[in-house]
Amino acid sequence: MPSQSSSRSSRRWRSPGWFFVAPYLVILIAFGIAPAIYGLYQTFEVTSPVGAPYLSLTKNFADVLKDYRLPTASWNVVKYLLIWLPLMLLVVFALALAMDAKRTRFAAITRFVTYVPGAVTGSAAALLWLFMSSPAVSPIGAILRHFVDKSGSFLSDQNFALILAVMGTASGAGGWIVVVYGALVAIPQELIESAVLDGANAWDTVWHIKLPMIRSYIAFILIVSIAQGFQLFVEPTVISQGAGGQVSRTWSINQLVFSYATDQSNYGRASALAILLLVVCVALAVFIITRTRFYSTEER
Amino acid sequence: MQVVSRGARNLLFVLAILFFGVPIVWLLLAPTKTTNQLQYLPPLAFGSFDQVGITAGNLFGYNNGMIWLWAWNSVWYTATSLVIALLVSVPAGYALAKLPFRGSTTVLFLTLLTMIVPSAALILPLYLEMSSVGLINTPWAVILPLTFHPFGVYLIYLFAKTTMPDSIIEAARIDGCSEFAIMWRIFIPVAWPAIAMVTFFVFVGAWNAFFLPFIMLNSDTLATLQLGLQLLVSSTGAIGGGGQSNIPIHAPEVALAALVSVLPILCVFLFAQRYLVAGQTAGAEKG
Repeated sequence: MPSQSSSRSSRRWRSPGWFFVAPYLVILIAFGIAPAIYGLYQTFEVTSPVGAPYLSLTKNFADVLKDYRLPTASWNVVKYLLIWLPLMLLVVFALALAMDAKRTRFAAITRFVTYVPGAVTGSAAALLWLFMSSPAVSPIGAILRHFVDKSGSFLSDQNFALILAVMGTASGAGGWIVVVYGALVAIPQELIESAVLDGANAWDTVWHIKLPMIRSYIAFILIVSIAQGFQLFVEPTVISQGAGGQVSRTWSINQLVFSYATDQSNYGRASALAILLLVVCVALAVFIITRTRFYSTEER
Repeated sequence: MQVVSRGARNLLFVLAILFFGVPIVWLLLAPTKTTNQLQYLPPLAFGSFDQVGITAGNLFGYNNGMIWLWAWNSVWYTATSLVIALLVSVPAGYALAKLPFRGSTTVLFLTLLTMIVPSAALILPLYLEMSSVGLINTPWAVILPLTFHPFGVYLIYLFAKTTMPDSIIEAARIDGCSEFAIMWRIFIPVAWPAIAMVTFFVFVGAWNAFFLPFIMLNSDTLATLQLGLQLLVSSTGAIGGGGQSNIPIHAPEVALAALVSVLPILCVFLFAQRYLVAGQTAGAEKG
């Protein structure tokens, strides 16, 4: 026995596994680990207007937190998340449950139609919704025209969060509907049938069987969406290009990070803010996971 | 009761189709109209087929066919990073699961760790890294970072771990099969669903990348379609600029450019939808 285990461990040393993993390891270090460590180091390197950069544990963080643009940008992003997340969860669960209640052809068509906008992402989606919120060309232009300001524009710093939330729902909900609907279909039919035999109506099965069984998806959608939402960059950047100065260039937190790096060449502050953002995302994810017992294996 | 709930359900579906469908239909119809028609025809009216030709002519004629160059850049950046990502991720995920070596758990741990770091947080250090090796404003500054896909490695790892029995690998080894041949002839043929999934994620991620090329590239001729769209709008003032420029790029041309930029993703999505539906019915039958 001992000889076998020692031959095994020497084999582990010369294992061909190394050759299989080596190229990935190079990429992992070059484009994952190294930038992460470098970014962390930079958060402590202070760029001063005169003289050489110096190291400080807290200076960059303090400077970033004092920036008058940060509360506005943070509030914008929080406002966006507060509108977007409930709206999207409501749309996703209402539609998925309705599609599952009676699996008709019309339900299948609806699922397909909600899924297609997911392909229109990034700058194309931003442009599409820039059009959707322009009173002149929008299909709901007649309604938007009642809310335009003096310059004839509907977009402004104030309602921008709402537009992004509607846009995020339109492009994000379809994919989640497919996922949640798939989870609903996977619920054993006997469970529903026995509940119905016991006198449960359609609503009872939704509240007491279906929703509790797909509960973990709520946490999953929230974690992924919060991380995405805090990183908001493409949409406000592209839309503000077309909005003719109606929307601030540092509307979102990530745009502020970018502004530190490019407008001021202050990588220390940019990294410090990026790290703060990461910490908030991870903290929220941990909070949601512990509150919903996301990883608990025992089902009710 | 039954009739009411059925009516409510169908009403919900109609509202959903309007909310999700109308913007897409609008986008499909916009290139058929002139800027003027876009404003004064009903929003979902069809312009004319001739106008599509004129709009396309304007768009593809912009800056001596710049959009072709952007499309070509998108295609070859995406294809190159996809090929490298697959060549690197598939053996790595397989070896981490089936050929453990000293340090393999560390590699796996680092993979999971980098998975949770949002890519946007790494972009600035990546920029400085690329500039220190002189790759800024070259395609490689975009292609190389996109080849790193820890999620893909993890997917392959999970697939190998859960669906590939050790006994098959042992049997092949006894028959004198090399480790590489075992992966190539035995693992890859059965792992295609996982590989297809990784392909899907890498492709969509690379094609849609905006922040990375936005930061790494500063000449118009290197831009991708995603970046080009933004350049098109900002350099012509097509939207919001009052249409004062004499370059014939206005709202219909921008809508067409947006359509062109999402076309490959749309195809991949429609293709993937068939698998999603197939997977669901399979689950339903088992249940």
